[in-house]
Amino acid sequence: MAGLELLTDQGYRLDGRKATELRKVQARMGVFAQADGSAYLEQGNTKALAVVYGPHEMRGSRSRALHDRAVINCQYSMATFSTAERKRRPHGDRKSTEMSLHLKQTFEAAVMTQLFPRSQIDIYVKILQSDGGNYSVCVNAATLAVIDAGIPMRDYVCACTVGFVDETPLADLCHAEEGGGVSSLALALLPRGGQIALVQMDARLHQDHLETLIEAAMTACKGVSKVLDGVVRQHLHEASVHSRE
Amino acid sequence: MIKTEKVLHLKSSRGRKVRVVREHYLRERVPCFSSLCQAGCDNDGKVLPGDLTHYVVPDAEVVVNFLEVLELTELQGVVFTQTACQALHSKGRRFYNRLKSLLRDPRHDCVLFANEFQEYSYRPREKGESQERWQSRCVYAAAAWYYHHLAGMMSVVMVTEDQEAVSRFSSLNSGVFVISFQDYLQNFWPGLQAAHELYASISQALQEKEAEDSSREFSEHLPAEVLEAGIKSGRFIQGTLNVSKHRAQNEALVTNEGLSSKNPDLSGGVLVFGSKSRNRAVHGDAVAVELLPRSEWRGKVTALTEGQAEEKSGEDGETKPMPTGRVVGILQRNWRDYVVTFPPRDGTQNQSRNSQRILAVPWDRRIPKIRISTQQADALQDHRVVVRIDSWPSTSLYPNGHSVRVLGRAGELETEVQTILLENCIHVAPFSEAQLREMPLNSPEQPWSVDPVEAGRRRDLRETHLVFSIDPRGCEDVDDTLSVRRLAGGRLLELGVHIADVTHFVSEGSLTDLEARSRATTYYLADRRYDMLPGVLSADLCSLLGGVDRYAVSVLWELDAQSLAVTSVWFGRTLIRSSYQLHYELAQALLNGEEAEVPELARLDPAERHAKLSELTEALEKLTHVARHLRAQRDRGGALELEGVEVRAQLDEEKNITALVPRQPLEVHETVAECMIYANHWVARKIQEAFPYQALLRRHPSPRQELFRPLVETGRARGFAIDTRTNKALADSLDRAVDPQDPLVNRLLRMMATQAMSQAVYFSTGAQPEDQFYHYGLALDRYTHFTSPIRRYADMVVHRLLTAALLLEQGAEPGKTPAGNKDLEELSEHINNRNRAAQRAQKLSVGLFQCLFFKERDPATDPRCVADGVIYAIRDNGVLVFIPEYGVKGPVYMRNKEGQVATTGPDGTCEWQSGSVRRYPDHIVTTSGCGSATFRLFDHITVRISVLSTNCHADTLNLEVISNKPHCGPAPPKPGSQGRSQLVQEVVRLAEEAQEKAAQHRPKLSREEREYRQSRTPNLYSILEEIRELALMDPDAAARVCAASV
Repeated sequence: MAGLELLTDQGYRLDGRKATELRKVQARMGVFAQADGSAYLEQGNTKALAVVYGPHEMRGSRSRALHDRAVINCQYSMATFSTAERKRRPHGDRKSTEMSLHLKQTFEAAVMTQLFPRSQIDIYVKILQSDGGNYSVCVNAATLAVIDAGIPMRDYVCACTVGFVDETPLADLCHAEEGGGVSSLALALLPRGGQIALVQMDARLHQDHLETLIEAAMTACKGVSKVLDGVVRQHLHEASVHSRE
Repeated sequence: MIKTEKVLHLKSSRGRKVRVVREHYLRERVPCFSSLCQAGCDNDGKVLPGDLTHYVVPDAEVVVNFLEVLELTELQGVVFTQTACQALHSKGRRFYNRLKSLLRDPRHDCVLFANEFQEYSYRPREKGESQERWQSRCVYAAAAWYYHHLAGMMSVVMVTEDQEAVSRFSSLNSGVFVISFQDYLQNFWPGLQAAHELYASISQALQEKEAEDSSREFSEHLPAEVLEAGIKSGRFIQGTLNVSKHRAQNEALVTNEGLSSKNPDLSGGVLVFGSKSRNRAVHGDAVAVELLPRSEWRGKVTALTEGQAEEKSGEDGETKPMPTGRVVGILQRNWRDYVVTFPPRDGTQNQSRNSQRILAVPWDRRIPKIRISTQQADALQDHRVVVRIDSWPSTSLYPNGHSVRVLGRAGELETEVQTILLENCIHVAPFSEAQLREMPLNSPEQPWSVDPVEAGRRRDLRETHLVFSIDPRGCEDVDDTLSVRRLAGGRLLELGVHIADVTHFVSEGSLTDLEARSRATTYYLADRRYDMLPGVLSADLCSLLGGVDRYAVSVLWELDAQSLAVTSVWFGRTLIRSSYQLHYELAQALLNGEEAEVPELARLDPAERHAKLSELTEALEKLTHVARHLRAQRDRGGALELEGVEVRAQLDEEKNITALVPRQPLEVHETVAECMIYANHWVARKIQEAFPYQALLRRHPSPRQELFRPLVETGRARGFAIDTRTNKALADSLDRAVDPQDPLVNRLLRMMATQAMSQAVYFSTGAQPEDQFYHYGLALDRYTHFTSPIRRYADMVVHRLLTAALLLEQGAEPGKTPAGNKDLEELSEHINNRNRAAQRAQKLSVGLFQCLFFKERDPATDPRCVADGVIYAIRDNGVLVFIPEYGVKGPVYMRNKEGQVATTGPDGTCEWQSGSVRRYPDHIVTTSGCGSATFRLFDHITVRISVLSTNCHADTLNLEVISNKPHCGPAPPKPGSQGRSQLVQEVVRLAEEAQEKAAQHRPKLSREEREYRQSRTPNLYSILEEIRELALMDPDAAARVCAASV
């Protein structure tokens, strides 16, 4: 795949976007009735389903309960049909475990857990179709699900990946770009205050470039937050119309 | 924000078929890059002009197969579609990069239209639609969009090779003309002969390719993944294939710089023996080789071979076996344009049946014969033609190629010079109008003058400093001047070096800059030169001529008058007026206190002249004093004084072709050179400190010790111990190795030392560790080139870096950040390559003139063909000889093809008799019935020089021993410089005469020829054919025939 040209001289990417443009984001909240909160989110061809249960009292071992705040329990999994070649093990492998941990850390920073001591919030995210940026899509979907569940948060958590090609940061990488040897960085942001909930990068990058990359990631996250905000408002509008009837 | 739409793509990766879904975003606004655009497209960068008759949109297939035709600058208004671009990408990265550089090139009217991202020009691929069909549909849609986008103001032509597409699309009435590429060239560019010929030869080659027979001649190359894995695991070795010059048929070495560190066994490279194991690799390709088992290893042949590569019995005189391998795959083809000669047509050639295909012989011996398909084989025989290799299938013994351009008849001066340029990839078209338009004006009506605003920004040295230049006689491009004066009541000396401020006139990224960058240096050939910059700059506005105001970049040192230690140094832009434009001989005469006529002072009255003269002489003396001190300083560090043609070109402080001539070394040469080295050194320090990771410096790596072995052995033969451990030790031992009887011994030893060294190269400081910055030859820790911006692009880069460094120092934001490390490293690689090419071209052209010189003379009678030679190396069947009079080096055989050996009679003359040759470390003995003769190292022998003519390659000089006594010619040998320049003049004159003669002869000959033709009446075809053939020779003659026959 080394032969792919990720950014042409005219500034187009593989799929026709410019460097700073995001993929198309579409979302719906409240897709399941049984769960406390749920959301479905598409970001380009990456599609995720997030479900939230809670806050409820601790299940399993009660010893994990915290006396001053709620415990957030995250589980990330990928559908066996989510990738081009069928996946053998939908969850529980190292990657998924790590991803679950990252999600947990992200939402511990955003959800106001201190309001619910000795209780537990479960967030389950499933990737239905994977086309790059799985982490950020999960975060965005889970945010909507948490809002749907009515759990108070400091702000939306919006996440986005950015990559660095030819001295230019590319926003919201797709799968082909991620595989094309780009050093990518994932960032979760609380957009209103500009606080960073999580930054993750495991590629090599010169430190001079880090600042521009984070700058680009924050701009991209703010773009995502606008879309999410629109989705929430739309959902509220629909819900109120519905209840009035 | 954007309109999005999704598309399915089917794709297979890693062998398995996988269904991949990719998104595809479309938008309404995609820049069209046409100046006619009414919709206000965001067109920045290159834009198609609006005054063309039409735009042409080539189909994907046309772009893939005929990119070379589209590369011609005459074809204007080409719109490449993204679809075609991607088709080219899948053919190979090399082609794609060529297209990319074409699109970037401002001289070329072509743009890229991203049609697949445009909402209305995008066509999704339908189910079951073949790729070719889909591509041509896409291109057609793009062409139609273009036509409507420009509101029909410009006609748009789509060219395709697919006849079916022509009929399919031309029925649709959307304003776009769809025609085949051939029709297009014929209708729109009837006069562009080059394009027609290129088209014909490529399409012929393509047809031939389809009709290949399938008998296998070579084993298949391995796929890229296997090679990559093999290289990583160490099973294969990666390297560049270097074909041996003397045994091109069989021997090739694969070398790799990183190889020696990993495996000391392979430090000498891997030998690839025979064409089967070379497996279609061509000289210069990056290949992967597999080592053969140790039992099949073999050595290189050390015997001298005669000009033609004859089959030897193989076993005689090989070195000890070295690692041998075979090529298993090719990582990167490095094919370039090759010059070939079409063989004369005689009945013996077995291809005569199949008139289409000709085996042409490349000029470079290292390149295999190339099979060309052409209709004009008869017209082209004995002509030198530029060809490109298309492919080398495993079923063919020779690569397939097509012809691109005809250079001319072999053996003519102009053809041969063009051949030399082309073989070194030197392209020197005259400067274009657009480039010349960027130049400032300087004509008698509108003389150029100093801009007062600019003058205010510069330090004015016109009144305060006595500035003068010292150059070879008749030099036009003066890029360095000097000044020296006393300061602070004589306690301090101020030494100044003032260099032409070229970058003031040539801004970065301008057309002139791009052209200069691609040339990288001025090319000096024996009889001409190709300037890097247009004449108005190089010979006028940038040249620091005497008596006129010029912009300069200066380095001024304040030195302590006693100890000559530097107390402070100043860099900056200045305004100077050179008072004297001296040449070396004159400066030396002034220094020696001789009576000399300084032209600038000729008009003054005697008293004033005397005062001025003493002022100048004093400055020169001070300068010499300082330079001596600097030289001594470097000598202590271990600077080398080297000898030989190569070194001069490398140090290159001279401006002219005289640089090659064994000239009288004057001290003033050294003085000027020393000041320049000093300036270069200080500028290198300055820019390296300001830009630690992106400064352009020049380093000279320490040579590999084993390369010194011949030098040490040769020295030992004469009783000199040569110590090569450090440059200091080498310099000292070379200084000691002087034979009082024979000054040539020392020169030869120095020449051999030079040969052992690697070349100095430019590099970016970010790409090398700091301890690699060292310049071995000059013994300086940092060095760069700063002093000749008129003829070296590297100096221009350094000037820009220095300016940026000074701005940075003043706290101002530099307008443009200097190029990053990666770009700079790429650039320095390019400059290094060009410099090497320039040197090779220079050497070849000197060789060419030598051959032409001796070709005119009969070796048996002309006394000038007999010369004195010195033996400097011994081989198995002969010796290598240096002829100081002509500066020629070459082999002298002691045993000829018939197995006879050269023995000497009592008077020293040599005769050929059957016998044997024995080689010893320091001498060679020939024995025959009549006695024996011994030839020792450094013996002077007499040789006869003759020319060995070959049709297809460059002529070479053949040396033949005629006596083992020193030669004493009838006339005392003239100073070399005169001989050489005379040689060039004479050859040029002869060539001109020959051309005139040809011009007179041609028409008559062709008329006679016509009488022998079958058809009595000259039909139009034959006339055209003749004219074309003549056009290759001489335009005048062609015109005359035209008039005569019509």
